[in-house]
Amino acid sequence: MAQITVANGAPSRSPIDIIIDRIWRFFTSVRMAVLEITLLALLVLIGTLRGSEVPQWIADAAPVTQPLVDQWYGWDVFHSSVFAVLLTIIAVAIAVCTINRFPVIWGTISSPRIRTSKGYVERAEVSATFVQTGSVAELQQGMKSIFGERRYRFFTEKVGDDIHFYADKNRWAKLGTFPFHLALILLMVGGIVASVYGFRDRDFAVAEGETRRVGHGTDLSVELVRFTDSYIPTGVASEYKSDIIIYDGDEKVDSGTITVNHPISHGVATFYQSSFGISVDMRVEGKTGRTVYDESLEMGFYNSRDNPDAPAGLIRLPGEGLQVAVVSPDTDRSNRPDLDTLNLASGQVWVQVSPLDSNSDIEPATAILDQGTPLAVGDLTLLFERESRFTVLQVAYNPGIPIFLIASVLLVGGLAATFYFPLRRVRGIIQQSADGNTVTLTPLAKRDWGGKRDFYNLVERAGEHFTTTPTVKRPDQDETGHDDAIDDSREAENQ
Amino acid sequence: METLVKLSFYCFAASSLALGAAALSYIAFAVGRVRVRRATLATSTGATVTSSTADFLPGSASAGRYGTLLTWFGGIFAFLAVLLRSIAAERLPTANMYEFSLTFVLAICMMYILFERMYSIRQLGAIVVTIAFGMTLYIWSLPADLREVTPLIPALQAKPMMTIHVSSAIFAYATFSVSFASAILYLIKSKRNIRWLPSLEILDDVGFRAVGIGFPLLSMVLILGSIWAHDAWGVYWSWDPKETAALFTWLVYAVYLHTRTLRGWRGDRSAIILLLGFAAVIFTYYGNYFFGGLHAYGGV
Repeated sequence: MAQITVANGAPSRSPIDIIIDRIWRFFTSVRMAVLEITLLALLVLIGTLRGSEVPQWIADAAPVTQPLVDQWYGWDVFHSSVFAVLLTIIAVAIAVCTINRFPVIWGTISSPRIRTSKGYVERAEVSATFVQTGSVAELQQGMKSIFGERRYRFFTEKVGDDIHFYADKNRWAKLGTFPFHLALILLMVGGIVASVYGFRDRDFAVAEGETRRVGHGTDLSVELVRFTDSYIPTGVASEYKSDIIIYDGDEKVDSGTITVNHPISHGVATFYQSSFGISVDMRVEGKTGRTVYDESLEMGFYNSRDNPDAPAGLIRLPGEGLQVAVVSPDTDRSNRPDLDTLNLASGQVWVQVSPLDSNSDIEPATAILDQGTPLAVGDLTLLFERESRFTVLQVAYNPGIPIFLIASVLLVGGLAATFYFPLRRVRGIIQQSADGNTVTLTPLAKRDWGGKRDFYNLVERAGEHFTTTPTVKRPDQDETGHDDAIDDSREAENQ
Repeated sequence: METLVKLSFYCFAASSLALGAAALSYIAFAVGRVRVRRATLATSTGATVTSSTADFLPGSASAGRYGTLLTWFGGIFAFLAVLLRSIAAERLPTANMYEFSLTFVLAICMMYILFERMYSIRQLGAIVVTIAFGMTLYIWSLPADLREVTPLIPALQAKPMMTIHVSSAIFAYATFSVSFASAILYLIKSKRNIRWLPSLEILDDVGFRAVGIGFPLLSMVLILGSIWAHDAWGVYWSWDPKETAALFTWLVYAVYLHTRTLRGWRGDRSAIILLLGFAAVIFTYYGNYFFGGLHAYGGV
């Protein structure tokens, strides 16, 4: 019966050390990294499909899945705690892996191992051997010059009577993975900084001639001087722009025209063109004859139940205990004309005065107002002065922008360095022998066809340099990648 | 302008025909030939027996050469189609599915020719050029009014950004089509050792090299798209379905790169991830048909 003997000499580790070690191994595990990325991809796919009709297609095809599909549409994946936790784990894993791998990679770059073994170069899958009559020093110099031509670094070490050498190219590309992974963390940090310290107002509507405060701790306000839109014959908007003035307190500090791709920034705030609509200038007198509303009412934030194509707006008058619903003429008369029960003409609006308290017994009063003609409706006197335009801006402050830009440069630069400048390494030995001196070299390019191809080119150049034909060992002469058909055709073309 | 647009369309039609013929040539080259030998044998009783044997042979080299030649024709005509339309529209044609697909055909031809020259293998053409031809058929199926040049909608009125962002996407997808083709051939070669197909090592390397070009380009697409979105919509990232579909594609290729470079995966498993990656590309490409959101204008 076998016996297990436990060595007593090994120092025992504390539970904390064991836990830390396991956590470290969890975060440095490539298997876990792959699993995390795969999970993230799955969540992204689920979230992407949520924004499409695909889940409904599934429910239509298999009605039994309808409850699941409803849950799918109801789950905001990208703002869920599962998604946030996974991103956090990935960010930590990236940081830990970077700390773990950097010393090893840096060591390979800064002080590569030069010494190799004869067994290694002789048993290598790919190698090349030159036999030369020149001195060892001449061979060494020759190899250095061949590698130098191809921008390789060249290191030598004397081992007994032999010279061992190591050459590499694009060594910095090996570091490309670090800026890339750092960039991923920075992108997440940038997003967090923007959401914690920034602000974003998506529906900042300003009517022509109106001035609106930005808020969010600033003293800024925006006046819309003019809104202009133009259309192509098919009816699609070709351009829309807002001429605005920005005030800091009462002082005019900036002005300009903003379009969709050309925002204006002032101080911390940036103003983006988002959308637009029509507004109606309304004046309302209350029960006592006092003016209780004299503003431009943005239409389109509501829709009339009676006519979905008609832009509508709502004036709330808490002092009067009333609200006024205003509906403009239909914007698209060709779309479901059967739904247009109001049949308003240009220069008219439909109004309904109703109590704010939905439990009130007071019956709503409705009327059609003609532009410029005041009319008593219920307890109010309403005047539709004119139709004007309003613009919808986005006002945002994003303190994460510098972080995002740095991350972008690191990400693209890191990837470009890694993939467009592949690391190439070659080891070799220059040996003295009775028949002449021998150079044997082998690439560190296991399963790297591109690396091997570069090596063959390098060997060809070395053959020209030494005016000799090297003995080249290839992995499988039939599997070298030469396309016989193309070679045949080239021969035929040469003939 | 109308003349240029018409000429561009005629060039596209020529490109379509050339690529159809090129795809057939490459398929003939990659599939190989069957040579049937019949022999009549006399038996000891004096009767004769006819025996047939079939040999599977590599495709004719001339079929491969014609494939290359026709792909060049297809590429040149696609280039002329894009060039003429660019002159007519005063921008790179990438504003709707007709224009995007037209430029995609050109990018596929360019990337394929690049890889054919890099690796001296023509069998990839049987799949890559067939994809390019399939894309021309898709273009033919689009409504004819998309062939007209129309002004850009306000969100797209950022020509430099649109040119770089969209062309990065087009070239990324084109290189992924090469990696897809290498994965298909890899799986065929590994299951049925067809000797005239390129070696497994080369096919694996083609897939990796193609992703090595395409992945940074796709990263550029996401980054430039974010910068553009910030100017146009006031936010870098909106979790818009088209954005997240591109992110999904990026993550699939990230899995491929991690498993290949850090886990040492090669062979069938890596090839299958490349197939999934290209499925994600197709999903993103045609997502406009079933996605809502901010990129909905990109649909037909």
